[in-house]
Amino acid sequence: MKPITDFARQLNSKISLDEDLTVKKKNRYFLLNKTLKRLASKDFFHAGMYLGKEKDGVFFPSFNLLAMIADKRANKVVVDEKTEWLFICGRDVFKRGIIRVIGSVKKGSYTLILNSYSECLGFGKALSDLHELKEGAVVKNILDVGDFLRRERSSFKTHS
Amino acid sequence: MMSGREFFISRYQELGWKYEDVELKQAIRINSMNAEKASLLKRLESRGIELEKIPFLEDGYWICKSKFSVGATSEYLLGLYSIQEAAAQIPATLFTQLKDKTVLDACAAPGGKTVQLADLMKNTGAIIALDIEKHRLTALSNQLERCRIENTITYNLDARQVSRLDTKFDRILLDVPCSGNFATDKDWFKRRTITDVERNAKLQREILTRAAKVLKDDGEIVYSTCSLEPEENEFNIEWAVKNLNVQVEEVRCHGEKAQTSIFGKHLEGSIKNCRRIWPGRTQGFFACKLKKVRA
Repeated sequence: MKPITDFARQLNSKISLDEDLTVKKKNRYFLLNKTLKRLASKDFFHAGMYLGKEKDGVFFPSFNLLAMIADKRANKVVVDEKTEWLFICGRDVFKRGIIRVIGSVKKGSYTLILNSYSECLGFGKALSDLHELKEGAVVKNILDVGDFLRRERSSFKTHS
Repeated sequence: MMSGREFFISRYQELGWKYEDVELKQAIRINSMNAEKASLLKRLESRGIELEKIPFLEDGYWICKSKFSVGATSEYLLGLYSIQEAAAQIPATLFTQLKDKTVLDACAAPGGKTVQLADLMKNTGAIIALDIEKHRLTALSNQLERCRIENTITYNLDARQVSRLDTKFDRILLDVPCSGNFATDKDWFKRRTITDVERNAKLQREILTRAAKVLKDDGEIVYSTCSLEPEENEFNIEWAVKNLNVQVEEVRCHGEKAQTSIFGKHLEGSIKNCRRIWPGRTQGFFACKLKKVRA
């Protein structure tokens, strides 16, 4: 499951998934356990843990996958409460909102964004070397958990 | 005419309930698999959200006051709690022993009860969740992802076709499509007629029939509706007891025991084990547990 391991590598992390239990369904990836693998027929819509999807050659991770990576060694930026809220609203992370940087987050690399409870809020791309004393926006928001609300709204628009 | 406000209110009166206007409180349920209760309550309190414990639920709280939507906090988006009406939190709690079981959630979307089942199962065993409408399955998938559910398979399938899956289940949740009730729909009395109720009752019997066929011996079905109409509740359960080799089990939960004499019909005595909840602090609801008798 190369797209997934490649994505983890971009976060300076390593992930190993049981190939037998990782299922690709059209462009979406799922991680099953043995019980689910036995029960799932090929026409399922969703099974086990959703890992992410590929679109136009780009891999879009799920929040489950991000949380899995957050439990391992990876690039992580811990932010304060105000920045947590702004990030969930789709905003970039500013230097002053960062509590801690874990890993070597260089310009252009990906990093997870965590709140003060070490819960993963999403991920972004470093706009500068985070160990440098540079002010302003330092992590560009790529995906945040506020996406669940955006999905609800877009689904409501489509079906109302 | 067998419709309209007066018609339905007089039926409720005959069942022993005096109509009153209700204003429902929003409720949440803590996803105990993802959150430590005391710490989550503290976090929500620090955000200015005032909660009241729902006395008849282990993990349920009413929202008393909140300056913003409880569906937009980071705690919600991280799956630490779900928004779920109080009475709707009851059915999943009626099963005995859910861990490691194979469970069917036959009419699952948007997934509040599926997530609750997975939480009660601590992500063990397997839940097969069905819904007839594909776009509703997308909403269900989002819930599963938000709440970190790992033990569920979903299918775009009519509950009446469940035998196609060729699986036997230990537990089946039938939160069946129903006519609803006035507490959650201000136009309910204008929109509903007894014909709708009878049409839904027929569909519910079809779903019950198919579900009973894929239930293991000694397996349990929890049947629930948010309808107040006996045709969709007590009458259907009596029909199931007479036709589907199931018996009504006693449950301990909020609500009053169902009546066994309704609109001049005398029902099988075990129907009193069903629970009927009249609108008040919760919406109107009906729930019962059926056990498959060994052949």
